[in-house]
Amino acid sequence: MRETARPSFPFSDPVGIGLRYPYYQEILDTRPAIGWLEVHPENYFGGGLHRRFLREISGHYPISLHAVGLSLGSAHPVSEDHLRQIKELVDLCQPFAVSDHASWSASGNAHLNDLLPLPYTEETLAALCRNIERTQEFLGRTILVENPSTYIAFKDNAMSEAEFMNEAARRTGCGLLLDINNIYVQSRNHGLDPFAYIDAIDAGKVGEMHLAGHTERPAGESVIVVDTHNCPVRDAVWDLYEHAARRFGRVPTLIEWDQDFPALEVLLMEAAKARRILGAAQEVRDAAA
Amino acid sequence: MRLHEFQEQFRDLMLDAPEALESPSEGFAAQFESGDIPLPERLKVYRSNIVGGIAETLCKGFPILEKLVGADFLREMARRFVLAHPPEAGCLNLYGRGFDNFIRAYAPAQGFPYLPDMAALEIAMNEAYYAPDDEALGAETLAGLSPDDLGALRLALRHSARIVCSDYNLAVLRAYCLAPEGPIPDLRLPCTLLIYRPNLEVHLVPLTEAEAFMLGLLQGGAALGNAAERIVSDHPDFDPGAFLQKHLTLGSFRAL
Repeated sequence: MRETARPSFPFSDPVGIGLRYPYYQEILDTRPAIGWLEVHPENYFGGGLHRRFLREISGHYPISLHAVGLSLGSAHPVSEDHLRQIKELVDLCQPFAVSDHASWSASGNAHLNDLLPLPYTEETLAALCRNIERTQEFLGRTILVENPSTYIAFKDNAMSEAEFMNEAARRTGCGLLLDINNIYVQSRNHGLDPFAYIDAIDAGKVGEMHLAGHTERPAGESVIVVDTHNCPVRDAVWDLYEHAARRFGRVPTLIEWDQDFPALEVLLMEAAKARRILGAAQEVRDAAA
Repeated sequence: MRLHEFQEQFRDLMLDAPEALESPSEGFAAQFESGDIPLPERLKVYRSNIVGGIAETLCKGFPILEKLVGADFLREMARRFVLAHPPEAGCLNLYGRGFDNFIRAYAPAQGFPYLPDMAALEIAMNEAYYAPDDEALGAETLAGLSPDDLGALRLALRHSARIVCSDYNLAVLRAYCLAPEGPIPDLRLPCTLLIYRPNLEVHLVPLTEAEAFMLGLLQGGAALGNAAERIVSDHPDFDPGAFLQKHLTLGSFRAL
């Protein structure tokens, strides 16, 4: 077992928003009061306009690089070419955190461009840990790994998702990126208790939290909850976040929004709400301590 | 079931015909909890994220094709391309190479003979958009060179540079799609274009046949003097000095 280096976060405001194309110019022009920006490195591979904006904006805000394409949960090794391009961006923006997901996207020569579900078995854990370790060695730093949202669940799981995440962190020294909306999605799609999930996560490992909107879709006679990132954070997820904030403390938190982009103002209002909840939770923690 | 087997079966199911989701094999389906949401409904969420998501991203790189055939036609063609040639990398910026050849063989597109070449142009433009940053060769770099040194020079095109040739007048067709005014232009004129990105925007430059050949020789590693001699023997009107001046002004060459 290795020591987990919880990423240092020396900034006064722990709440961030996603840097997306529609906001580039406005962020540069208005410099909104926000603690940090999250960036999908895959959007900045290669050169040109996107890279130019990232170079400029990362001079003004701390960056968290949140990868979506490493496919850490694939049975085969993570792509060195992908790692090399992420490393280039790490060197460019000196992020305070680098992360990807406990999921898979690639099998053989096909990369399916989605965060796909894993059976929680010893074999999967070993494969995931190998790829996390390869990534950490290549980048020369620990990463954060995010809990997934899934639409199918496996019968022969050997452990719960929370146990699986904790064990990956314990074995590799990576931190956890806890997506609160994903925990809610899991609770609805698979009938779990989301509060118990949060309570089962090793508190010392959580280096970042995510909040996002989801969508309910009819599925046969029932409803399936889809992690769409295209609307405000739902009330039930804010409740869970409050619970998580009391348990994990002042952890950097991201408002994620990836389609049907609203005005920047809307993201900043969501961020303000997260900031209030984190602040109040910290007061409760301080009072208890 | 081993992890790699599950991943291979899941991948194949996602890239199969849509109706395959309704009846996955018993061995595959037996792995999953059933609950009150039927398995096909659960699998459809993935299918739509994967095939729909990749096709949508692909379509964004082909705005002229969309104008030529309409969004629905393009989306269906893109969807079929995704199933036949799924992405190989975890970044979709450069996905779409080969879409032109796919369209050449795509039966519903046979009524649009210029479509594959227009796709090739849009692929080149997209690749140029994401090409690595570099600097243009400045005229001042060459100013002090003796004629011999100039002749021995090996010039490279910008990382973004692509040359696209077609039997159809792609530049005129593209301009017409972007601003449809007046009568539909005559497309039956061959056209050769240099696509490159001098700074942040992708540019298109019409080339003569000799010019394109010359750029090709330089790109292939020929020295400037040798390339010029070869071109002049076939095209006595070709003026190497004017060619060099034009492309230094455009910034088509990469800094040494």
